[in-house]
Amino acid sequence: MGMARLGEVLTIGFGTEIIYSFIIILCSLMIYFGTKELYELSSYKGLKYFRQAFLFFAIAYFFRSIIKFLLSFFDVRGIIDFPQRVFGIMTGPIALFIFMYFSSIAIFYLLYSASWKNLKENKYTIYSFHILAFVIAFLSVVFRNPSIYLGLNLVLLLLTIFTIFIAKEKKGKHPFYKVYFLLTLFWILNIIDILLPGFFSTTQILIYLASAGIFFTIFYKVLKKVGSK
Amino acid sequence: MFKRGRLEINHDILLLIQKNKNHIKPTPLLRKSNTSAGRFKEYLSELLEKGFVKKSLEKGKVFIILTDKGFKFLEKYSTILDFIDEFGI
Repeated sequence: MGMARLGEVLTIGFGTEIIYSFIIILCSLMIYFGTKELYELSSYKGLKYFRQAFLFFAIAYFFRSIIKFLLSFFDVRGIIDFPQRVFGIMTGPIALFIFMYFSSIAIFYLLYSASWKNLKENKYTIYSFHILAFVIAFLSVVFRNPSIYLGLNLVLLLLTIFTIFIAKEKKGKHPFYKVYFLLTLFWILNIIDILLPGFFSTTQILIYLASAGIFFTIFYKVLKKVGSK
Repeated sequence: MFKRGRLEINHDILLLIQKNKNHIKPTPLLRKSNTSAGRFKEYLSELLEKGFVKKSLEKGKVFIILTDKGFKFLEKYSTILDFIDEFGI
């Protein structure tokens, strides 16, 4: 029965999920490894946070794919309905925790890469990002509640708007802040899509296309810059 | 007055060494680098630690010379600046 179910899962939209995840993970890893030399030469902090953000996006997307696979395989609608124990371990909650942790930390690092110059930095800044990401991931696993999920994502979105506003005030308008805002916005929509399946129903494919487009745009710009000289 | 960042000061020091036929004593390098002695010591230590420059002993005198990594930094400097500017980071 297991193998039959597996075959069914692989034919119902799972191919699209795999392609989508593959594009995002590939773009993210190419950005991370493509900027390795520039960072090693410059040790520039903004570059460090920028690259790490994309490494975390890749990890988060990998776990997103695992969650999507498990949801399809066990034929459950949402992460809330997910069986507690799969293969003898708490696969669902663990995958959700890792996904939420890396999603949050990726957003924090990306925003920090654009705003670190304007903020008073101390040694606890980065620790506080990890603690906040841990709290968000923990709350997502413990409170299996749609209102909590939406609330957490609203906090992330407000934090994004606030950070970009501060960066704009201090550094002036920059064309890439719009891209960072869109990247974060669509990433949050992806998180909601995982936490609350069916929330977007018909618009899901548009979110996928827009997200892939944004990652591809950044990847293309990075490739153009890094490979240009 | 425009304040030079760490990246730019490192670049300026490496460029001074290169312009001096990749061969300069620490004291003239300090003088030309337009930084205080304390700051210069800090930057030079960083460049030595990261392997951008190395000390060379010739006839009992210490010279600072660029390594391959130092030359690579100079070559990629404009790309690094372009990248930082392009992505607003």
